[in-house]
Amino acid sequence: MSYAIEVKNLKKSFGNLQAVQDASFTADAGEVLSLLGPNGAGKSTTISMLSGLLAPTGGDASIMGHSVVSEPESAKKSLGVVPQDIALYPDLSARENLIFWGKMYGLRGATLKQRVDEVLEIIGLVDRQKDHVDKFSGGMKRRVNIGAALLHKPDVIIMDEPTVGIDPQSRRHILDNVKALNRQGMTVLYTTHYMEEAAELSDHIAIMDKGRIIAYGTHDELIKLVGRETRIDITINAEGGRVLEAWRSTEGVARIDALDGTLTALVDDSNRVLPRLFDAASKVGVRITSVDIQEPNLETVFLHLTGRALRD
Amino acid sequence: MRIIDLALKDLSQVFRDKRSLLFLVAMPIAFTFFMGFAYKSGSDNDASKDTRIPLGWVNNDGNGYVSTQLFEMLSNSDSVRLVELTSDTVDESIRTGEVAGALIVPTGYNKQVSAGNEAPLTLVTDTNSTNGQSLYQILRTSVTKLMSAVEITHLSAETIGKPNDASELNEAFASASQAWSQADSASLVKVEMVVESAPAENWYGDNPYNQASPGILVQFAIMGLVSSGQILVQERKTRTLQRLMSTTMRSWEIVAGHMLAMFGIVFTQIALLVVFGQLALGVNYMNAPLGTLLVSVALSLWIAAMGLLIGTVVKDDSQVILFALMAMFIFSALGGTWFPLEVASGTFAAIGKVMPSAWAMTGYQNILMRGLGLESAWMPTGILLAYAFVFFALAIWRFNKMDV
Repeated sequence: MSYAIEVKNLKKSFGNLQAVQDASFTADAGEVLSLLGPNGAGKSTTISMLSGLLAPTGGDASIMGHSVVSEPESAKKSLGVVPQDIALYPDLSARENLIFWGKMYGLRGATLKQRVDEVLEIIGLVDRQKDHVDKFSGGMKRRVNIGAALLHKPDVIIMDEPTVGIDPQSRRHILDNVKALNRQGMTVLYTTHYMEEAAELSDHIAIMDKGRIIAYGTHDELIKLVGRETRIDITINAEGGRVLEAWRSTEGVARIDALDGTLTALVDDSNRVLPRLFDAASKVGVRITSVDIQEPNLETVFLHLTGRALRD
Repeated sequence: MRIIDLALKDLSQVFRDKRSLLFLVAMPIAFTFFMGFAYKSGSDNDASKDTRIPLGWVNNDGNGYVSTQLFEMLSNSDSVRLVELTSDTVDESIRTGEVAGALIVPTGYNKQVSAGNEAPLTLVTDTNSTNGQSLYQILRTSVTKLMSAVEITHLSAETIGKPNDASELNEAFASASQAWSQADSASLVKVEMVVESAPAENWYGDNPYNQASPGILVQFAIMGLVSSGQILVQERKTRTLQRLMSTTMRSWEIVAGHMLAMFGIVFTQIALLVVFGQLALGVNYMNAPLGTLLVSVALSLWIAAMGLLIGTVVKDDSQVILFALMAMFIFSALGGTWFPLEVASGTFAAIGKVMPSAWAMTGYQNILMRGLGLESAWMPTGILLAYAFVFFALAIWRFNKMDV
């Protein structure tokens, strides 16, 4: 079977640092695949190799059946890339930027004009098309940044953390755009460290940490990895050391870690375990000051797999 | 086509910035005036001095009619000042700068010429010097005139027996004209380069802007390295280079697109300064318009390529400026843009002569100071193009290794 995106044992080293280690995943045509992981997990390095910006140290990847190693130009023709940083000319207007990038993708004449008009509609900036990009808000710049990758109607679009550092309204606009593009049949590879975005958008999710793909599947398949475990974040009025040992030996606690001053426990039944945690705390003279119970989610999955929070 | 699109985008960005126009045109014009004024002021102090080129005169053939005529012709010249020498003192006189060259009349010269035979005079000079080149041109013209006079005399003598025969006179004129056109003026004066002369004082010729205009032109063209290098740095900074490389454009196309833009900017600057020099300062670039064009194109290509190489080596704007300033001072000083290499010491001049900027100056000065034509521009153009090619190849090599 031919995939829209196929990554096989992809590796990238920078000196002694192994940024990506044997990464493998696939995406069918027309699906949204999210690459979820904390900063420094290797997501951007992976998509840099898929975009032809970095040569892999080992392994291979293909876009619409074309190897990024042996047929980079064919692979690039099917690809639109939205870089993590704003990759636009600030002293040109939104329209001038789109015209330029359209030309770089080989569009000319009436086709170029038509696509620029369509993309301006998609990103919702028809009214501001003549304004210089450096006059735009962060969210508007992000929208033009995405628009520039859509001009040549690529089969596959790679978006590298497109919602970082923007206002909720622009974020909503971008997420809706991703869904709309996907409905039109575009395959989307979306990298993020926001689990809510991955959960909302994705058909499949590959969780990446320290250069490795540590889990891959649909949202539900990944949640099943942690079984029925519920996450409980607890804050206390004292140092965590005294109570941590007591809670680790409490029945029903799968694991407990201290993260950013909060004690985070994975438990199999919060209704049953929570009173035991209060009892154990009282016995060592510690008072619980707040409790936050979360049903299993991707954050829980990451915690379950790595012992760390996604935001770390 | 995408190379041109990329270049046009760069140009539109550069020319939107009003400061770049000031930098590209206004500053070099101001500096040209300043430098020209400085050169002129230096020579104004010697206004009463005879500024004709000193030419040694060595007559090894006694007082023959033809050599006497030549002596008188040169003695009355506005361009040269004759200094009588002997064969033994020629080299020393040129070396010390007493004369810029020496014309040697060989033994038997008058007899050979009177018999209608070819008898070249010998000019001993430094052919690399401005005055040496000028002397050769002046003597070629003077000796050609003299020889044609001798030829006409011969023809007239042959026809003098029939003074009223119009057809015979017409025939004599026709023969004289033919002799004029067939005379190989280059063979009438043989040049020998046996010594390196002392520098002449008025090395810029009769117009101080002959040095100031091309000098500032080359210097500010080299300053174009700043813009050229900054293009790649800005592309990296704005991450647009990353996006460009995710398109199907190849590395060499991206470098070529930016280089084309830089070529356009530098060439436009040079063209404006050439026009200004020609019209406002009387610098005769149009002495050999095609030669001026060739040197300007090659100079622009070299600078664009070198600027892009700098862009692939540096990390930020401040490093671009540092590298560009270093390049400007080194290439300007050693390349003879502030003063001709002929007036510099031997080692300085020897190093300078391998600089591309020196070849650009040689190309312009051949046209402006030495009065030479298109043929004098070929070598400087070829060498500048070779430099441009090497820097372009290095820029592509570095570009492929660059971390975007």
